[in-house]
Amino acid sequence: MNVLCVDPSADERLETSAALDAAGFDTTACGSLDAARDVLATGAVAGVITEYDLPDGTGLELVERARERHPDVTGVLFTDAGFEEVDSDSFSGTVVEYVDKGAPGARDELVDLLSFGIDNRSQTSYPLPDDEDRRLNAVEAYVDDADALHDSLDRLTRIARALFDVDAATVGFIEAHHERFLACRGTDVDRLDREETICTHTILDEGPTVITDTREDPRFSSSEAIEAAGIRFYAGAPIRTPDGDAIGVFCLFGDEPRSFPERDRTLLSLLADEVMTGLDLRRRLREATEGADDE
Amino acid sequence: MNEDAYGFDGLPIDPVRRGTSILVAGPSHAGTRELAYRMLAGDADEGVIILTTNTTAADVAAECETVGIEVSSDRMGIVDCLDADSSGVPARVLTVSSAQDLTGIGMRYSKLYSDFHSEGVDSIRTGLFSISTVLSLTELRTVSRFVHTLVGRVSKVGGLGVFLVDPAMHDERELRTISQFCDGRVDVRESHDGPELRSRGFLGGSSSWLSFEPLAAADR
Repeated sequence: MNVLCVDPSADERLETSAALDAAGFDTTACGSLDAARDVLATGAVAGVITEYDLPDGTGLELVERARERHPDVTGVLFTDAGFEEVDSDSFSGTVVEYVDKGAPGARDELVDLLSFGIDNRSQTSYPLPDDEDRRLNAVEAYVDDADALHDSLDRLTRIARALFDVDAATVGFIEAHHERFLACRGTDVDRLDREETICTHTILDEGPTVITDTREDPRFSSSEAIEAAGIRFYAGAPIRTPDGDAIGVFCLFGDEPRSFPERDRTLLSLLADEVMTGLDLRRRLREATEGADDE
Repeated sequence: MNEDAYGFDGLPIDPVRRGTSILVAGPSHAGTRELAYRMLAGDADEGVIILTTNTTAADVAAECETVGIEVSSDRMGIVDCLDADSSGVPARVLTVSSAQDLTGIGMRYSKLYSDFHSEGVDSIRTGLFSISTVLSLTELRTVSRFVHTLVGRVSKVGGLGVFLVDPAMHDERELRTISQFCDGRVDVRESHDGPELRSRGFLGGSSSWLSFEPLAAADR
């Protein structure tokens, strides 16, 4: 698991990195906001541990920057700065864990909190399903070969777009930090941060989620991503495994508010079920083939 | 009572396992706030941390005394967003300049929790009074991250979280998102015979409305 450790003091940095490495993290360490920015640009980071006072900024600024690239990042301020020195007011919405560097056993506490935050993704700005780990395993088990799935899913989204007369229809699967789209009609998107998608919320509900006007829904009215994508209407039905895990969403959207009657909701759910039936058959076939190969 | 659980004396709510966070939703006139305080009243060796967004630390301390929580610096911490004079309040009080500063509130909460924990206080009940104030000042996505982080901290250390909200102040979808971070929800309403509550979402919780006695009545 990649984590970034930022501390202007070389000794402190070394000691903290050693504690993180010993706990099994893959730690990249540096001493400034600028250097940290380069690290963040090169790859995914699950956690950021930072002093508050950096030579070219603050630790809160760093966590804010990190979340622009990796929204689910766990941020921990590991600092000897007192509360009166920390300008949290200017970063009032950043929200981090905090460990007082001077407290006894501080590095143990840091490792403990960071591990928990990353494992449970407890700093995301969206709720997670109850059994998220099992759900993620199911995504992996059913969605194994995107290319092979594409044609059949593409046909279904094409039918859906015509059937409901909407701008776009997609089939997306919700992975740990992203929604990955395997079929898109009327739009072209490969993957989106989970924080930015409405489908992230759809998988929490049993039936379809319908938003007749995104600007009237407090969950999405301030989302720049949804505004930029021109989405005003949304309808999504969870794609649920036989065990009940919602692994993805069959969704429709348009650039005008509209209603979506009960009959349409039922039809959309049928399409989501059809996707699941196809995935299930492929999985069984794969297992049977692998079993035959083993004999 | 199971020592690994948090119980609620005098209330028709089953004990909950350690690490549980509960949304308490109801109008203030139905005694919801008093109920939330009573849910924080536990055994003498437990700690209590209250994050107060719209009441001074002094008033919080007074409300705690009313429901039988002993206010002492050994066991009680308050994060006060009103930045009022808290001299004379016999609890550990940390202040932030506004209820909008969720980063500052969270940091002070972490500090209090960590200090109590290192002093051997293993069971801590946390109250956030109230989410309604926070939601009226800050957009949902940020409040969500804040609540998620608090719930995570409560879960990690085996605490109890009690988050107060007045549903009348919020869109139902907003409320649902917040409740999705919590393990359970207690709804409160006023009936002809007095206040009633309904607990949902945790093991053993009854899904029917049950009456409970407000303290003033119980004392009589």
